[in-house]
Amino acid sequence: MPILEVNNLKKYFPVYKGVFLRPKGFVYAVDDVSFTVKRGETLGLVGESGCGKTTLGRCLTALYDKTDGNVHFCDQDIFSLSPKELKTFRLRVQMIFQDPFESLDARQTVKEILEEKYLIHKKHNRINIDDEIAVLLEKVGLLNADMSKYPHEFSGGQRQRVGIARAISLNPELIVCDEPVSALDVSVQSKILNLLLKLQEEMKLTYVFISHDLAVVKHISDRIAVMYLGKIVELADADSLYDKHLHPYTEALLSAIPIPDPETKKERIILKGEIPSIQNPPKGCRFHTRCRYSTDICRKEEPVLLINNREKEHYVACHQYG
Amino acid sequence: MSKNHYLARFQKGWQIFILNPLGKTGIILLIVFMLMAASSFFIPLLDPMYDPMTGIDPLIKESTGPSFHHWLGTDNVGRDLFAQLMEGAKVAFIVGLASAFISIVLGTTIGMISGYAGGITDRILMRFADIIMIMPSLVVLLILASLFGQFNIWIIVFIIAIMRWPAVSRVIRSQALSLKSRPFIEASKVAGASDIRIIFRHIMPNVLPLAFLYMTFRVTSAILVEAALSFLGFGDPSQVSWGMMLQWVWKSGHMFQAPYWLIPPGICISLLTLSFYLLGRAMDEVLDPRLRKEEERK
Repeated sequence: MPILEVNNLKKYFPVYKGVFLRPKGFVYAVDDVSFTVKRGETLGLVGESGCGKTTLGRCLTALYDKTDGNVHFCDQDIFSLSPKELKTFRLRVQMIFQDPFESLDARQTVKEILEEKYLIHKKHNRINIDDEIAVLLEKVGLLNADMSKYPHEFSGGQRQRVGIARAISLNPELIVCDEPVSALDVSVQSKILNLLLKLQEEMKLTYVFISHDLAVVKHISDRIAVMYLGKIVELADADSLYDKHLHPYTEALLSAIPIPDPETKKERIILKGEIPSIQNPPKGCRFHTRCRYSTDICRKEEPVLLINNREKEHYVACHQYG
Repeated sequence: MSKNHYLARFQKGWQIFILNPLGKTGIILLIVFMLMAASSFFIPLLDPMYDPMTGIDPLIKESTGPSFHHWLGTDNVGRDLFAQLMEGAKVAFIVGLASAFISIVLGTTIGMISGYAGGITDRILMRFADIIMIMPSLVVLLILASLFGQFNIWIIVFIIAIMRWPAVSRVIRSQALSLKSRPFIEASKVAGASDIRIIFRHIMPNVLPLAFLYMTFRVTSAILVEAALSFLGFGDPSQVSWGMMLQWVWKSGHMFQAPYWLIPPGICISLLTLSFYLLGRAMDEVLDPRLRKEEERK
């Protein structure tokens, strides 16, 4: 049974214009997205900036309300939870944020930051709260003495460790990682990624890992979903996606990964044109304006996400394979 | 540890504050006025004739100039002007601080709720604030006073506070608006925090410095409004204040005969409001590093 099931999820943001602030159109941030996440796996979500991956992450944690569709977490519709159920949901689903500088309250010590969740969920026991936090800090590779420090006393990587400690406290099941390493140095990125992998193994966590960095996603994910303009265009096993990618957009994305070997030459597919406005997405296939294989049908009909390789669970939304 | 941090931050802020010529002048003036206000508690104890309201020098039947017994002279019924001036300082502090405090509490709370809640709540609260903001507070007070007769000093304090919260809540609201979409607020939402918790635990500590800054400016305007109201004869007649002293000079026809009576309260009103204004300006520079740098570059 999948831990998370997303069915036809849509999230549109109204755009207000004019003196009377009437809604004049929508930003189609997440447009009819369906996928499942299995317990214990890592699902990578990749796409260029503005494709709706962060919005999707926020919908999965019920930070944003949906426009349409539904999200089931352990067979519970997360958008129709009672306040009490929502609180339990908040214990089980956590989030790691992109910016380690903004995501910690600068006026609170590490202890106060980590303590908050215990206070909210009344799991607060004055005798052992310090021990609990010490264990948490050790798990994420920080020192006991860091408890009384303020965020500004840490480096970016250490701050992100605090963010991770906050997310893993009180044993969640699913963690949505919203670009957790994109604000960090490359050398620190790998350390944080390995920490996440280690924690996943220890605590049997499930990750939804959002990133624009394909190399990072490949390192951590079991399955990968590629998003373009609010839609999932390809969803497959990580290996299958890298070796046998089908969608032209995935092809272009993968060709952009730098290879750390100057001798190797490879063809780089440069996408023509700009990313179209997400307020006014192209008709038909959303990628047709930049696709080098586009044909007439691409301009008229929107492809649906269909299974291409049943064995590998490889899905693709492209007329070439329809 | 946490205390040390706040202490260190306070000390750093204080350093900037006290090195600033505006802040230094402001704080010196403020201390002088605080001493004046404090002395008002002791002067009547020396001799009942120094009571600012009821003490009358039995030997004096008309307004006299400065003398050994009456440093600033007396008013037309023989009350000591120095004692009245000291009492006026106390009243100015009470009026200024109390009404500033009430308007800050109201303005901050409403601003935070409005900014954080957004939507229809925000619109209703802010339109309400706009309506109050455009009303000229002195005129409203005058109309109310002429309708209901003379007010007790606390009612005046309260009305000034009611008239003056909207500007504060506007500023606090815009702060809350920018704070509420910051990731650390979202992080605490993901942790399951209630709205009340987010407002008071995460938003309030971040807007409080700004609220205090606004409080100093509110003090200034409250003192001025009270003085104007008293001078126009709508003050609390049972309470000496600087505005009241000016009203008495005017009413008894000593406007141009007794400069020792007219000038001191006028100067005191100007200097006390100046002192709070300077404090606010200096605090502004502590809170806003951009202003500070400009100052340092000079």
